[in-house]
Amino acid sequence: MPSGNLVLRRVVQLVPTLFFALLLLFVMVRLLPGGPATAALGDRGTDADIARIEASYGLNRSIAEQFLSYLWQIAHGDLGVSYSLKVPVTELVLQRLPVTLTLTACGSVLALAIAVPLAALAASRRDRTTDLILRGLFQLGLSSPVFYIGILLLTLVAAKTGLFPVGGYGSGFLDNLHHLVLPSFALALNFAAVLFRNLRSAMIEAMDADYVTFAIARGLSPRVVLFGHVLRNALISTVTLFGLNVGWLIGGAVITESVFAIPGVGRLMIDSIFARDYPVIQGLLLVLVLTVSVVFLLTDIVEGLLDPRLNR
Amino acid sequence: MSAVAAIARRRGRISLPLLIGAGIVLIWIVVGLFPGLFAPYDPDAFDYDALLQAPGLAHPFGTDSFGRDILSRVIWAARLDIQIAVFSTIFALGFGTVLGALCGFYGGWFDAIVSRVIDVVVIFPFLVLIIAIIAFLGPGLFNMYVALAAINWVSYCKLMRGEIRLQKQLDYAAAAQVLGYRDLRILFRHLVPNAMTPIVVFWMTDMALAVLLGSSLGYLGLGAQPPEAEWGVLIADGKNYIETAWWMSVWPGVAIITLGFGLSLLGDGLVVYFGKKERS
Repeated sequence: MPSGNLVLRRVVQLVPTLFFALLLLFVMVRLLPGGPATAALGDRGTDADIARIEASYGLNRSIAEQFLSYLWQIAHGDLGVSYSLKVPVTELVLQRLPVTLTLTACGSVLALAIAVPLAALAASRRDRTTDLILRGLFQLGLSSPVFYIGILLLTLVAAKTGLFPVGGYGSGFLDNLHHLVLPSFALALNFAAVLFRNLRSAMIEAMDADYVTFAIARGLSPRVVLFGHVLRNALISTVTLFGLNVGWLIGGAVITESVFAIPGVGRLMIDSIFARDYPVIQGLLLVLVLTVSVVFLLTDIVEGLLDPRLNR
Repeated sequence: MSAVAAIARRRGRISLPLLIGAGIVLIWIVVGLFPGLFAPYDPDAFDYDALLQAPGLAHPFGTDSFGRDILSRVIWAARLDIQIAVFSTIFALGFGTVLGALCGFYGGWFDAIVSRVIDVVVIFPFLVLIIAIIAFLGPGLFNMYVALAAINWVSYCKLMRGEIRLQKQLDYAAAAQVLGYRDLRILFRHLVPNAMTPIVVFWMTDMALAVLLGSSLGYLGLGAQPPEAEWGVLIADGKNYIETAWWMSVWPGVAIITLGFGLSLLGDGLVVYFGKKERS
C-alpha cells in the first residue's frame, strides 16, 4: 500500500505542473494569430469595432492582468462565459465532456477485454501458429487509423445489419451505450494492439521467471500459475500502458466522435477555436489536462498497490 | 530451441519482420518517388464517361465521382503520405535528440528546466493539443508539421536523455574524458552515436503513427487540402459514396494500413537487428 505521504507528495508535485500548463494554455491562446472580434466580424469589422468588442471581453488589459483575474475566477469554480454561445463554460463542459469520457472509458474496457485473454493465449502458445496469427492481426490493428475502422464499421455493420444506430447519441443511459458500441470498438482496436504486444511479452517474461518455475515445481495447477502469478505481474504493465496512452485515447475519442457524429468535446473544441472563443478553449483543455493528470496520479497509486517495490 | 534463441539475441540478425517491413516500405518509397511510372492514368483527369465505375480491367481500383482513376490517385498520394511520415517526425527528432543529449550529459538547472517543460507538455492529451494548434494556425500540411515539431520533440528528448545518462557512466566515456577531449566532442562524437539505436527504432514507430495521424487530420480537413491527393483526404472524398462506391474509401485505407504495417514491422525488425538491449 503506498503511504499517504507518497500520494500527498505526488499531488503537491502536480500543482506547479498544472499551474504552468494553465499559463502556457492561456498565453498560447492569446498569442496565436486571430482574435474573437476578427473571427466574428470577418472583413467587415473596423478597427474601432474590433477594439470595442475586445475591450468588452477585457482583452485590452495586459496578459498578466487577464491571467490573474482568470485564476481568481477558476478558484471560485467559474470557467467564464462563452463569447459566441453566451452560455457559461461550465455548463458546456458538463454537457460535452461526460460523452467523450464515457467513450474513452468504453474503448479502454473493450480493449482490455480483447487484449488480455488473447495475449494470454498467444503467450502460452509462443511461436506456434496461433501466436503468429494473433501477432499478425494485432500488428494490422496497430496500423489501422481509427477513422477508417469507424467508417468500415458504419458501412459494414450499422448500415447492413441495422443492429446499431448509424451515428449520433441516444437519450438515457442504455440508449447511449447502444450508440457507443461501434465507436468504442473503433477506438479500442489501436489500444488493444498496444496492450496485446506488451502483455504478451510481459507474460512470456513472467513465464520464464524463477518464481513461476518454482510455482510449477510446487505442483500448482497451470491455471493457478497463469492467473495468480503470470497475469498478476502482467497487470502492472497494463496499468502503466493505460497511463501512457490515456492522452492518445482521449484524442482518438475526439476523432471517433467526428466519424460517428457524437456530440462530445471534439466538435465544440474545433468550433470554438475557429471562433477564437477563449473561455471555451481554455475551459475544455483545462478540464482535459485535469483528467489526464488524475489518471497519471491513479496509475501511480495502483502501480504501487500492485508492486510495493515501486513505493520505495 | 535454446541454441536458436541464443543466436536470435545476437546483433545483426536479419529477421523476417525486418525483411517484410523493409520490403513494404521500400516498395512505397519507390512508388512515392516515381508515381508516374506506376500510375496508369493522370490522377487529376476527369472522365465523364467513367463515373463511379466499380473495379475492373480498365480501372483496377475503380473510379470516383469525377471519373478519376482511384489506383492512380492512391499511387500519387503515396508521395504526399511518405513526405508526411518524414516531415512530421524529422524536426522533432533533430531538436529533441540534441536537447535530450545536452540534458542527459550536463544535468543541473538546464536539465531541471527542460524536464519541467516536458512535464507540462505531456500532461496535455497529445492529439487534442495537435488538433488545437493546427486549428489555430489554420488547416494545412505546413501547420501540421509546425504543430508536431512543437510537441513531439518531447518523446525524443526523454528517450535521448535517459540513454545519455546511461552511456556517460560507461568506461569508454571516462576514457574519452581522461584523453582530454572536450565535453561536446565526447557527447556528440562518442556518446550520441552509441545512444542512437533506440531513437532510430522509435523513429520507425513514430513514422507509422505519423502516417495514421496525417491521414486522420487529412480526413478531418485539417491536414492536406483537397484537391491534393492524400490517403485521408481520399477516404473523406469517398465517405459520402461508401454505400454505392465502397472502392473510393477502401483502397486508400488499405494503402495507409500497409505503409503503417511496414514501418512498424521495420521497427520491430530493427530491435532484433541491433540486438536485445542490455540493462545494467
